[in-house]
Amino acid sequence: MQEEKDFIQKLLHPNTQNEAFKKLLQDFQKPLYFHIRTIVLNHDDADDVLQNTFIKVFQNLKNFKGDSKLFSWMYRIATNEALTFIKQKALKNKVSSEDLQNKTIDNLKADVYFDGDDIQIKLQKAIAILPKKQQLVFKMKYFEELKYEEIAAILETSVGALKASYHHAVKKIEAYITSN
Amino acid sequence: MKTFKLESEPKIKSGFIVPEHYFDDFSKKVLSKIPKENTKVMPLFQKRKTVFLAVAAILVIGLLLPIYNQFTKSYDEIETTFLENHLTYQSNLNSYDLISELEEEDLTKLGTTIGLKDEVIEDILVTNSDLEKLILE
Repeated sequence: MQEEKDFIQKLLHPNTQNEAFKKLLQDFQKPLYFHIRTIVLNHDDADDVLQNTFIKVFQNLKNFKGDSKLFSWMYRIATNEALTFIKQKALKNKVSSEDLQNKTIDNLKADVYFDGDDIQIKLQKAIAILPKKQQLVFKMKYFEELKYEEIAAILETSVGALKASYHHAVKKIEAYITSN
Repeated sequence: MKTFKLESEPKIKSGFIVPEHYFDDFSKKVLSKIPKENTKVMPLFQKRKTVFLAVAAILVIGLLLPIYNQFTKSYDEIETTFLENHLTYQSNLNSYDLISELEEEDLTKLGTTIGLKDEVIEDILVTNSDLEKLILE
């Protein structure tokens, strides 16, 4: 905890800010990329959102109060950026977020940055039928293998609610894959 | 039909991959954008607003200048001829009112300016037939 406080101080101090931010990028670019990618699905979109996320993180460092961990604060920014991106993209294409998601899943097979077969596509289609919150919880738990406590801190909810949410999501996904 | 059980099946990976060297270049890409993003950019409409306010301020000052000059104009600047004319033709002031407004210093100055010698005054008094009348007044 003290180590994180010292690191935040380095991020805020003009003399140490650049070096500290480089370290922040190194440590978080990979996990945040895959977190964003599981939401937006497409590499180019994930790249845009990840850049925006880090720029936003840099701009808001001075407002970071340290009430939550740097990890959960950054994941929260990334999640919000990804969800906002999807909404805006859907608006621009004059379709609903759900239709956009289904269309993106259909395009996955042709995506050069997607290395999956039928089961991966089927799983993505099963996830798409879930409510937004359950989708997020399932992806963070199943693909990213985050702990319930970490997800709870990011989504600002209780561990109990998350466990119930994940359980419901798994049941629906299993039912979808079984019948399709 | 076999019931699919997510937890008992081998883990299904997301299948998402990234271009080669993507993460090597990503840091550079973000770092090159950050100084630009951090620079305070004044939006166009805000620039317009500043120009509009500056023009408005200049106009207001321009309109107020004549009024300001009116209030601050010194009495010294009012023409002496105008004052003389006013006192002579349009004022109700008589010679006594004028004298009562004069101070000792003004009277001394007046005496110096006129500069009449005592003999001349005597002559005037002797030759002036209306003297009694003047004294009575």
